[in-house]
This record gives sequence, C-alpha cells and structure tokens, in this order.
Amino acid sequence: MAEASADIFEMKLDWMSAQGEWGTHAKPGKHGLSLADIQQGSYGDIPEHSDNMSGRPRGANPRPDAYRIGGYSVRTKHEIWLDNASFLYEEALQRQWSSATDVPWDTIEPLPDDIEQAQCELCTFLTEVEFVAGDVPSRWVAKTTPDYFEPRHVLLAQVMDEARHMDVFRKRALANGGGLMSATGGTAGVVGSIDLARDFTEMSSRLHISGEGAVLTIFRMGELMAYNDAEKTMYRLCAQDEARHVAFGVMHMRYMAETAPERREEIECYFDEAERQILAGSQNPAGAQTESSESLAILLGGGLDNYDEGIKKLMAIRRRQLTEYQKRVRSAGFGERFENGRSPIKEMIAASAA
Amino acid sequence: MAKNKFDTEDPVAPPIPKPKLRWMNRSNQWNTRVKPGKHGLRLGDLNVGIYGDVPAVWNDQTRNPRGAIPKKGVPPVGYTVRTKAELWADSAADLYEEAIQRKWAPATDVPWKSIKPLPEPLERAVCQVMTELCQYANCDIETISQWQYQMAYGYHEVKQFLATASFDGARMYEAFRKRALCNGGGLGLEGPGEVNRMILESRGGWSEAVTYLYLMRGTFTVVMLRYLEAHACNDAERAIYAASLEAKGRHMTYALEHLQYSIAHTDGRREVMQTLLFIGERVWARELKDHVLREALAIVFAGGLNHAADKGMAIFQQMMRDVMTEYCFSCDWLGVTRKAERMPSALTQYMPLAEKQSSGS
Repeated sequence: MAEASADIFEMKLDWMSAQGEWGTHAKPGKHGLSLADIQQGSYGDIPEHSDNMSGRPRGANPRPDAYRIGGYSVRTKHEIWLDNASFLYEEALQRQWSSATDVPWDTIEPLPDDIEQAQCELCTFLTEVEFVAGDVPSRWVAKTTPDYFEPRHVLLAQVMDEARHMDVFRKRALANGGGLMSATGGTAGVVGSIDLARDFTEMSSRLHISGEGAVLTIFRMGELMAYNDAEKTMYRLCAQDEARHVAFGVMHMRYMAETAPERREEIECYFDEAERQILAGSQNPAGAQTESSESLAILLGGGLDNYDEGIKKLMAIRRRQLTEYQKRVRSAGFGERFENGRSPIKEMIAASAA
Repeated sequence: MAKNKFDTEDPVAPPIPKPKLRWMNRSNQWNTRVKPGKHGLRLGDLNVGIYGDVPAVWNDQTRNPRGAIPKKGVPPVGYTVRTKAELWADSAADLYEEAIQRKWAPATDVPWKSIKPLPEPLERAVCQVMTELCQYANCDIETISQWQYQMAYGYHEVKQFLATASFDGARMYEAFRKRALCNGGGLGLEGPGEVNRMILESRGGWSEAVTYLYLMRGTFTVVMLRYLEAHACNDAERAIYAASLEAKGRHMTYALEHLQYSIAHTDGRREVMQTLLFIGERVWARELKDHVLREALAIVFAGGLNHAADKGMAIFQQMMRDVMTEYCFSCDWLGVTRKAERMPSALTQYMPLAEKQSSGS
C-alpha cells in the first residue's frame, strides 16, 4: 500500500476523553476468549430496560446527537433474556457442520420404493418447516435492542442452523432416486401459529418449546428411522442444533417466570394453545394422521407392509415427545399446570399408550 | 367384515387407523439422483431438472419447497419479496457452501494471547475503531434480518446465503467487542450513525438496501479492513481482520452480482440506482467529515500518536483513494458510472485523477 505525501493535519483527539469504561482486561480461559469472559465491569451490566435507540454497542459512550434509528420493540430484559445465552452461542459456533461434507452421502443405497417415498415425503415436510425456525427468529433479531446482543446472537446462530437443516433435508430428498413430494402446509399463517406471534415470549413458547421440542424428539429417534449412515448422521447433527434451540426457549421462559410473575397467566395461555395446536396438529410430524406421520410410520415399521408396527413405534415416540415436553415446561417453572388439571398432556400420553 | 392388514389383531386395543397415503406416488419429478462431487454434496448440485428452475416470479406465499407439490388452501405467510430480480444472484448457493466451509470461532481461532499492552493513545485508537466496526456489523445484522424473512421461499439459496451473512455479522460483532475489552481498554464513543440510518431506513426494496449496505458501506469497510490488517498491532488483530475480510468478500460478491442481475432484469433500475447513489454519497460524505474514526485510523496506521498527524493521515488518505477507486470501478462495472461533478467534494478529493478528468471535473 503506497503511502502519500505527509502533510500535517490538525488532530482534535477530543474523543479520547469521551470513551466508555477504561481499563478492561478480559482474559481467555480454557475455552478461549468467550462472551462470558468479556462480561467485565459495566460491560457486563445488562440494563433492565434499554433506551439505546441508536444501535451503539452496550457500554460504548453515547453521542447526544445520534439518530434514533433502532425502532426496537424489545427493550425490556425479561422479554428476551436468558442466563446462558453466551454459552449457547459459543457452543453453536464450535458445533458448526457442513451438510455437503460432514454427511457420508456415499453410504446411501437404493431403497424399496415405499421406504424411499416415505423418506422423501418426510424430507419434504422437514424442508418446509425448518425455515419457519429461520424466518421467525430473524424477524425478532431486528426488533431487539443490541443491549441484549447475547440472545440476539443465539437467534442468529439458530437462523444459520435452520438454513443448514433446510438444505440437508432437500439434499436427502434428491440424492437417492426420489424427489420432493407433497407439501403439508403445516406452517401456514393461521392464528396461533409461530409466524404470527406478536410477542417474543409468545413466539418462543411456540417455536422453541413446543414446535422444536417435538421435532427434537423425532431427530433423537433418528436411529430408528434411518436406513444408512448418511441419514443417521443427518438426524444426529440436526438434533444437536435443535437441542440448543429448545434450551434457549426453556431458559428464557425460566427467566421470565422468575422476573415477570405478572406474565405467568398469559404464558400459561400460550402453553394451552401449544398443547391444543402445535403438539397435536400438522406441525408435529408425529401428530395426528398426516402425510408426515404416515411416512414416519412406514419408515419406523420398515415398509408399508409393516405399517401397524410402525404406528406402534410412532405412538411410543409421541409419548416420549409429550413426556419430554412436560419435563421442559416443568424446568421452565410452569410444572403446576400438569398437577392442577389445566394441561391435557397426561390424558394425551394415556391416549397414545392405549 | 374381512380384516385387512391395517386392522389390529388385538380385540382390546383400539384399531390402528388405515393410512390414507394420499401423498404416495405424487411428485413433480421422481428418479432424481444427485451425486456428491469432490467438494461433497453442495446446494447448487441440487439444481437439476425442475428443482433447478428458478422462476422469475414466485407467488406462492407458503413455505412450499421449490419443486414440491403445493397444498391448496393454505393461508399465506405473507412474503413481500417475490420476484427473482429483487434478490437473485447465481452465486448464492456456492457462497452459502463456502461460508459453511470457512467456519471460525473468535473465541478459539483468534490468538488472543498474542495481544500485548499498547501505549494508551494507540490502545484508545484501536478500541475506537473496534467500536465503530461493531456498529457496522450491527447494521449488517439488523439490515439482513429485517429483509430475510420477507423473501419468498422459491429463492431459498439467497435466504440461506443471507443466513450465513447475518451469522458472519454476529461473529464480527463479537470479535471486535472482544478485542476492545481484552487489553486494558474498553469501548469508545459511538459512531455518528448517519450511514447506518440510511441503510436501515431504506424501504424501497432489498436491492436498495444492498446498494447502501454493500456497494457503498461494504466497499468502505473492505478497504478499511485491508488497511487495518496491514497495520495490525498483533496476530490476534490480523486474524480478526483476515476472517472478516473473507466474510465481507463473500458479501460483496453476492451484492455486486445481485445488483447486476437486478439492473439487467428491472426496467428503470439503473436510473433508480443513480438516484440512490446521488443521495447516498451526500450522506456518506457528511459522515466522513466526522473526525473521530479518521483520527483513530490515523493513529493505528502510524503505530501511535507521534506520527498520526502526518504519516497516519497520509495513509488514511491513501486508503480513501483506494476506497473511491474500488467504488468507482464497481459502479462502472454495474453501468452506474459516477461523475465527479455530481458528487460531493468530500468524496471527489479522493477520486482517481483519470476518473475526475474523464467526467470533466
């Protein structure tokens, strides 16, 4: 890079005495320099309410004449916060994977037509739903003040994860003599859907706890419905990502329960809705009799001829989904609903065991 | 009634419902067998047969994957960016895969221990630069995030690439913040934010946002990162700037290709861009008058305060000449040539002499 003539310019340097807190010495730990390591002094103070409308980094010295360009609607800590956001974000970074090279695609062998069709239908469904979980968090990122950048960063990692999930299922559908099949419309813009939530916690209860929770159980059962190492790998890697997303929802809900008790009843209503709709409806691949549940039954049973065997396994997965959902809601601090008769989950578990 | 294979044998258990199987034997294109190449099975490899047909308009407002059979009667989700010309770039799928291969984690891939205490004016300058770069990354994140969910599903390659771009923004934000807080310093004074405002408030469409976010701000940022890499105080900073440059390189590739596509496929787009640039250059010029970033960069380029006013400022000016050379080159390439007489002097002072002469200035 050429250096030009050296005229002398006047330097004001007034900004040097107008900076944020000085003397910060964050040190890397055994996992490198993590976000948790830089929560030092005032830089670790998370405001209960944010008046940062100019998008400045938390802890930077504000300019009085800065434009109010943020337009942030999420500016209260309990609306989005969770205590382990830094950890989840750093883990997401460490566990990035590539569907192009980390899935052993060459292990896929031709399958009987009914199995291939079931796999392709399930992949069509999963391609369809995975980017709900990409579209929706991305919308909330832009609405949240950067004073709460840690949860925002986890949501950005989720958008990245979901892009990869969408692509891995599309790849599987097109890799073995099949193709995409029928969309289910399970992610439509209807009342009570993940898309239409107008409050972050409402959205998170639907997306992270009930929606992704249900899908996580399916992914964890991937061994049962996979026919080769490529499919096993695909489900295992997706499950690892999905577990972080579910953890986000549970930890956020727990924070909300502890810090905003006035919103408990409202949140109970979101769970009521989730138990009526998302867990039971077409967004759940193991839900009612849908394209995806039929294809799952064929995969689990080992073919159309063993459909009834597959349905029995699917019911076992469904029980597990409901049981895991209960655990998550309890962990979030809303377990009472399972004891006081408000939640139909126990009856749903009993019905799926019949 | 004769039992069929879907009736249970157990008279006590409820019957297992018969599958409807309406979805079976229904595909717009079957027998697709995409094979992995030497770089694995990549997103672009999937664009075979009908799965590779990217329509000029995508009116389906559901999440029907491209090539799948849509379901009728599904209420719309409400996508507003639904034409190819508004977002497309042929390289999006390749850039997406490249972004995934070039993963990095600031926590562990930056050699933080290479950072040693710096003289206070230099540390303050580095921290000021990091603060403003953080704001640039924040602007990337918020701009992409507010557009991405509005993009129709038929163009999933672009949505997926933008997922990597906003994640790149998160990593850069994180790395710049970490650098500011690890060496006895802290964050600085927030930037003036006028260009951020212009980018975030662009409402005329994604292509307008791309014009400001990448063609204008992106060009400036890339050249600045290059100079910062060349004048880094330690290996940690060099690693941060190098990784950021890789990411910005992908973003700029997408942006220029998209703008070229948009101009080629939209009547009047070239003229709209000329107007946008005319307005944007004035905002950019006003922000350049702010002395804070300029002085901080001069100190970093000079390696300290002593020669910042002469040597450091000279390097800053050279950097700005490089910025304007690249900006004018990109504009020429896109067919929206910048004429010096229509640009503010705060920018033309850095324009290459040939550019100024050819436009009669």
